[in-house]
Amino acid sequence: MIGAGPVDLRPIFYPKRVAVFGVTDTPDRVGYNILQSIIFGGFTGRVYPIHPRHQQVLGCKVYKSLANVPEPVDMAIICLNQFATVEALENCGRAGVKGVICSAGGYRETGEAGRALERRLVETAEKYRLPVIGPNTLGIINNDGNFYSTFYPLKIPAGKVSLISQSGGIGLAAIHTAIDEGLGINKFIGVGNCANIDFADCLDYLENDDSTTVIGVFIEGTSDAARFARTAGKVAWKKPVVVYKAGRVKDADQYTQTHTGSAAGSFPLYRDILRQHGVFTVSSIAELVAACKALAFQPLPKGNRVGILTHTAGPGVVMMDYLKPAGCVIPALLDQTISRVKQIIGSADPPVVLKNPLDAVGLGFGRSVYGGLAEAMLADKNVDLLLAVYCLHQTWELPAAELIAAHKKNNKPLLVNFIGNWLDCRQDQEFLQTAGVPLFTAPEKTAVAASALVHYGMRQKG
Amino acid sequence: MMIDVTVNEIIDLAAVSGRQLLFADEAGALLKSIGIPVSPCRVALDEEETVQAAAAIGYPVVLKVRSPEVVHKSEVGGVCLALTGEYSVRSAYREMMRKARMVDRQAQVTVQPMAVPGVEVLIGMTTDAQFGQVVAFGLGGIFVEVLDDITFRQVPLQEKDALDMLLSIKGSTILKGYRGSGPVDTNALTEIILNISKLAEHHPRIREIDLNPVFAYPVGALVVDARIVIF
Repeated sequence: MIGAGPVDLRPIFYPKRVAVFGVTDTPDRVGYNILQSIIFGGFTGRVYPIHPRHQQVLGCKVYKSLANVPEPVDMAIICLNQFATVEALENCGRAGVKGVICSAGGYRETGEAGRALERRLVETAEKYRLPVIGPNTLGIINNDGNFYSTFYPLKIPAGKVSLISQSGGIGLAAIHTAIDEGLGINKFIGVGNCANIDFADCLDYLENDDSTTVIGVFIEGTSDAARFARTAGKVAWKKPVVVYKAGRVKDADQYTQTHTGSAAGSFPLYRDILRQHGVFTVSSIAELVAACKALAFQPLPKGNRVGILTHTAGPGVVMMDYLKPAGCVIPALLDQTISRVKQIIGSADPPVVLKNPLDAVGLGFGRSVYGGLAEAMLADKNVDLLLAVYCLHQTWELPAAELIAAHKKNNKPLLVNFIGNWLDCRQDQEFLQTAGVPLFTAPEKTAVAASALVHYGMRQKG
Repeated sequence: MMIDVTVNEIIDLAAVSGRQLLFADEAGALLKSIGIPVSPCRVALDEEETVQAAAAIGYPVVLKVRSPEVVHKSEVGGVCLALTGEYSVRSAYREMMRKARMVDRQAQVTVQPMAVPGVEVLIGMTTDAQFGQVVAFGLGGIFVEVLDDITFRQVPLQEKDALDMLLSIKGSTILKGYRGSGPVDTNALTEIILNISKLAEHHPRIREIDLNPVFAYPVGALVVDARIVIF
């Protein structure tokens, strides 16, 4: 946190001119990888690699020092060792750079000497009121401006969800899960040691970032948890925030402290206080991505009454285990809906379970029947959102077009649980999600996604 | 006995005496001054005062050692419950002082009535390294010690937060009444929770509050034992 006011992180995410300190010509070094990342990511601004002994790396001219760069830069990425980083930061401050990313580890996560070094880093940053992402970070991605600065070069689908992660590894896990889920990412922020830019600063920034509509957070622990929870609760009034807190076991502190220098703190406190501030929490990367996906694709439901349509009972049972503790209700269907169901199936006494969850068994495979049932349930006044379960089959196709039509007609949230594998679901995933209907392959993820929608739908209702 | 004292006066007195842990009577007076119902607590300097205090309070009574040197009272036999008459008060007093005065020659006692049993809950406040002041609520005894059934909220709490605390513990059903017992007065509990939140918010010098047990009744609630630690 720099001073009292909000920090302007725009120069870090939308730079026009970038300096990269420590660019070598060896692909096993972070500096090389970050330059690779910037180029591979399609950055359209100008990039100035800096190294005293190299002339050219990856086709870019290398400059001996920041002073040799022919024009002022907006931001700098420092890929030097932890000691040289502090000196480079001083140079950046003096040169009027507006934001910095420090990749190196070796600070407070390593002990007393590292803590002292990090204090120096923070003092230098404060002197110039310079926002610093990291140190000890994978970097950031801005897909809204084609600016990639992670030392794992990536090019990922763009979207409306932004992620904040304390861990690079978990950040990558979330990014790759999002790719599997067909979920586009807007911004990724690896906060690392949170030297002077903490979770709350990033949340404040993303709150006013128009290209972000949903925020996902992975946190191990922060010394300023009070501000984090308050800020997450405040930002969630404007756009949904989903938090995955790790480090639940009692001796987690010793692991998290040697990772990013922050104690994990008490898990029950995070759980209860995030709840107090109305923030939706999850317990895995899969759930984090699933919840963000539903919130990015679908409108918020008007209430907590969930309809489930299936042709196999088990997924409904599993879903209810997640939905009920999350405050969802599985309402009875209206009589007129039951009549419509009978009509669609074409029998006055069909051998199906005529209630919610509606299990149409073998009669529900056909495109028009399944689509009709989905539409009837969505039209039911007792149903605020619908979860539609269908299993991948050699003969029967997912009634994707019918589901999209039913969704458009009623404008209530619809989540599809297509039980299958990513390889064989890919086409349907793309078809449905292009139309704004999210497809999930697991009932658990579908249910968590629905819980997230209900959570923020109910919160907005007050 | 302290009358008309303010929270700051009580904290100041403990602070200048170099005590971080308030005496039971101080904690009681502090809580009473902000409207929290507490079990009365009288200080007695000697055996005669103890007997007089017991008679004034009415039997049965509880005797507890009062000394800055004794933090864990029960370890030195410093707690005697359910004393039913003058004879038992006198012998309890002598036995208690025999041990306590080996630790602290100035040791005194407090005399309290035996509270009418109710549903045992705990209400607390702690200053967490990451979250700052946090209020805790749970069912007392085995529920918190063994089952970890306790819930936390950040200070300051709103009324809905206090209510949510009562609903979000696993043993919430016990507050609603079970096996023929009626529901407890949840308003009385949320009122204490909100009062503790306000107390902590306005007095950051308080580091820790442990009201355990609090007896919840069909009407009202009573703080039976209070522990307050200052910075």
